[in-house]
Amino acid sequence: MARPSKLTPEQLYRTCNPQEFSFNTTADLDGPVTATGQERAFEAISFSMGIKHDGFNLFALGPNGTGKQTAIMHFLGNSAPEAPIPSDWCYVNNFEKPRHPKALRLPAGKAGALSHDMEQLVEALVTVIPSAFSSEEYQVQEKNIREQFQEQQANEIAELEKKGAEEHIALIRTPAGFAFAPEKDGEVVKPEEFMMLKKEEREAIEEKIIALKTAMQSIMAQIPKWQRETQEKIKELNRNIASFAVKPLIAELRTEYNEIEEVSRYLEILETDIIENFDQFLDKESDNKELLPGIYPGKFSQKGASFNRYRVNVIVDNSVTKGAPVVYEDKPSYQNLVGNIEHISQLGTLVTDFTLIKQGALHRANGGYLLIDARRLLAEPFAYEALKKALRTRHIRIESLAQLYSLISTVSLEPEPIPLDIKVILLGERYLYYILSVYDPDFTELFKVAADFEDELPGDFDGKLAYAHIISSIVHKDNLHHFDRGAVARIVEHGSRIAQDSTKLSAHIQSISDLVHESDYYAMAATREIVQAEDVEHAIHAKRFRSSRIREKIREATLRNSILIDTDSEKIGQINGLAIYSPGGQSFGHPGRITARVRLGKGEVIDIEREIEMGGPIHSKGVMILSGFLGARFGTDQPLSLSASLVFEQSYSGIEGDSASSAELYALLSAISGVPIRQYFAVTGSVNQFGQVQAIGGVNEKIEGFFDLCNARGLTGKHGVLIPASNVENLMLRHDVVTAVREGLFVIFPVSDVDEGIEILTGIPAGELDKSGCYPSDSVNGMAVARLNEMAEKIKKFSSSQNDDDQ
Amino acid sequence: MPERQKNARIRHIAVALDCSPHSRASLGAAAELARLLNAELTGIFVEDINVLRMADLPFCHEIRMFTAESEKIDASTLERSLKVQAKDAEESLQRIADDLMIKQSFRVSRGIVPAEVIAAAGEADLLVLGRSGRSPTCRKGLGSTARKALEEGKKPVLFIRPGFSAKEWPVLLLYDGSEGSQEALSATISIINPGMRLNVLILGETQAKSVEMEQALSEIMALPDSAVEYHHLPLCAGKTLMRYIRMVDSGLLVLSERMKMSREEVHQLINEIDYPVLLV
Repeated sequence: MARPSKLTPEQLYRTCNPQEFSFNTTADLDGPVTATGQERAFEAISFSMGIKHDGFNLFALGPNGTGKQTAIMHFLGNSAPEAPIPSDWCYVNNFEKPRHPKALRLPAGKAGALSHDMEQLVEALVTVIPSAFSSEEYQVQEKNIREQFQEQQANEIAELEKKGAEEHIALIRTPAGFAFAPEKDGEVVKPEEFMMLKKEEREAIEEKIIALKTAMQSIMAQIPKWQRETQEKIKELNRNIASFAVKPLIAELRTEYNEIEEVSRYLEILETDIIENFDQFLDKESDNKELLPGIYPGKFSQKGASFNRYRVNVIVDNSVTKGAPVVYEDKPSYQNLVGNIEHISQLGTLVTDFTLIKQGALHRANGGYLLIDARRLLAEPFAYEALKKALRTRHIRIESLAQLYSLISTVSLEPEPIPLDIKVILLGERYLYYILSVYDPDFTELFKVAADFEDELPGDFDGKLAYAHIISSIVHKDNLHHFDRGAVARIVEHGSRIAQDSTKLSAHIQSISDLVHESDYYAMAATREIVQAEDVEHAIHAKRFRSSRIREKIREATLRNSILIDTDSEKIGQINGLAIYSPGGQSFGHPGRITARVRLGKGEVIDIEREIEMGGPIHSKGVMILSGFLGARFGTDQPLSLSASLVFEQSYSGIEGDSASSAELYALLSAISGVPIRQYFAVTGSVNQFGQVQAIGGVNEKIEGFFDLCNARGLTGKHGVLIPASNVENLMLRHDVVTAVREGLFVIFPVSDVDEGIEILTGIPAGELDKSGCYPSDSVNGMAVARLNEMAEKIKKFSSSQNDDDQ
Repeated sequence: MPERQKNARIRHIAVALDCSPHSRASLGAAAELARLLNAELTGIFVEDINVLRMADLPFCHEIRMFTAESEKIDASTLERSLKVQAKDAEESLQRIADDLMIKQSFRVSRGIVPAEVIAAAGEADLLVLGRSGRSPTCRKGLGSTARKALEEGKKPVLFIRPGFSAKEWPVLLLYDGSEGSQEALSATISIINPGMRLNVLILGETQAKSVEMEQALSEIMALPDSAVEYHHLPLCAGKTLMRYIRMVDSGLLVLSERMKMSREEVHQLINEIDYPVLLV
């Protein structure tokens, strides 16, 4: 098999030529940011926003920092202002059932006006009603009614008194009531005089008194009825007077709002209530007691909180809204979404009324769009369920959580639900979308559209120009120094590096934004007006340096031989693998020693990592594939008579992934064949049962990790790394690595088959089967077969001697 | 015909108390006057002999005010009730006297109410009483005691009705230049609160005389013009006068029995008018 050739420096790093760009600096780019490479997501957004049916809400999925929110906001920024402005909403008192405040829908901008008009109305009533009731006409009429009652009562009694006087019987007022007694010359007859009268006379007097008494009782029995009638008359008078004062004011409002049926109806009920309760507008000046302490005493509460009942609580005011509202709720808690009913403490009791109903994001976004971060939504208790309920029922129903769960027990409200017409856009990581899809049946009903954002942009010119525009918009937005095209090109290159693909650019806008800010900082430190490529380079280096503590510690331990990595000699059954470490978001590569030993056995490969449960399932799978490969290559004619053990030396934590499986295979082949492996190479790549080398991740970091160690020990020109050929496109290596390759101090081989790899690592060809089905004896495979035959012989011998002993 | 005392300085005021609304208004007015004139105030409570006698009659029943139930009158309960009323009256008097820091005394007597009130007020320079008392008929005119004081009284009488405060009332003086109206004038000056408006209704036989009287009055009174308002009316009585008084709508009406109109006309006016009246 032909040995692959070394990679050229050009294959290790795809440079972005600044001359490709027509602009000089990002200051020349002030046009809108044109999103590239997210067509699929935009199509989904456009579809979701366009379709009017239930449940077509959107879930924008993609890694954090890929600009999902910005992209959606940008999209809505174009379409939302064209949409009709939604209605205003307000809560007003329900005069019949105060526990169920009424929701009023008004055209945009009218709710505020109604609230203001109601304030004005109350202001006016405070003046108009007392003046109507203090008018002379009212006073006279009221006095007349009261005197009519007094007169009626007096006349009836006077009549009786007169009748008594004719019979010489006087009506006497006692401390507790009335009594009749015979009189003479204006005085009650003395008892002794009375007793001296004849019996007939006495009886006659007694009879008269009884008759008068009965008459008196019947008069008195009628007094309550007269009182009631009088009260009714006064009430009627009051109603007439109040109505006369109130009607013109309300009529004015009704004319103004006559096109809004709900408001007209409300004003009708309001008028009746004011007329019935006119007395609250009287003598209010002295009534300064605050019913709702702790609340800012507004115009109404200064004149008594009872006027609260005539207030209008504006929940949604779209007076300044242009088109459909677009709301991003940063803290999507239950209350912030559906609104809340606040309580205030009054003399130790919690009280509330409709003026304490607070709006939520659903109210604000009603008729438009609501953006919520899915992870935050799920982290808030009850919020996700409340959102789903609102979307399902298409109504916003404000319920007090504390009441619902009996945490507090006090008077609360059940406001009339407000109809909901909204598009909800959830933003979140892909795993959230998949989890919700699987575990929540409601989710797929309510969020039918997924906008799947790409992690990468194409690395073509359009992609690069999009990067330039993104950088320009960040610069403009945050008022940074502009970037020249060299700096932009360097950021584009870094974008490819983040994407781990020289043909792509990372869509992780957050990382780009961070790099732009950091580069701006170094440009400023260097007192440059325009950010240049070296500032970007500085920022990239500085960031790497800031997070290099663990990497440096590991390398230091290796240089001091606390961690044993040989980069110089040749050893049998020992190879340098390459591992990736990812502490705290940063990742770096470092070589790790893999060793293989063989002994007589039954053909199994023991993965020590798996035996002690430090190896993950993918790693174990990789090792088992090796058994398959070995069996297929060497065990077709006779059973494998060996046992091999494999281990990652000096690993103190778990190992996962199959990217070391090719290295393990090389170590095994070396151990079986007895051919030493060149320790100045390091190897990465997974392998299949046919010995093909397959792509792995983090290739750049792995190469750089080995390069850094060799560089520290001194590059001699023989050091190098074997990578899977399919990873060549992922290469975006550091400049120092590229330079070392260019100078012939370091090599990188793309390997597509283990036979290629073993030849590079040992200097001996792997060897191919000849016509007789044998490998050449001077090939690695040939030596391995010879060794295996030797081991099989030993086993055979050992078995027969054992059998002899047994017999 | 008994003649009321000339309007000497009022040093002693008697007020009839019977726990009725009129009587409470009387007490308020009397106390306010006493404070103004620095006079002593005597409260008079009369235990109605008619009520006590009635209790001793074998068949007499009381009809309860709020239940209309009939019940046998018990003399001892009645006595106790009267005592309680007297005590209430005394306490009210004491309270108001303490508040206004005036000297007071209280007197309880037993007898026919009008006669006893007149008799008990004998030493006082002014008798203050409600236009009507606890009379069952709540009639609009004067009560029996007020009528008696009007007929027989020899001293100035102030008839009070609820709804007017002695502190704030504007005064309307009836003046026709007679000796009686001169006395009414000096009484008015002595009782008028500083700062209160004084209306003078001049009843002149001719326009010229009326104007003349106004000039004379303004010289005598030496009050600022703004405090006095003069009204002119040809000499008259009865309904015309009453209508005019109502039009002026002043508080206390001050007049004398010995004016150019007859005593009966004066009495009729007092009987029918709705305002508190000071008769000198």
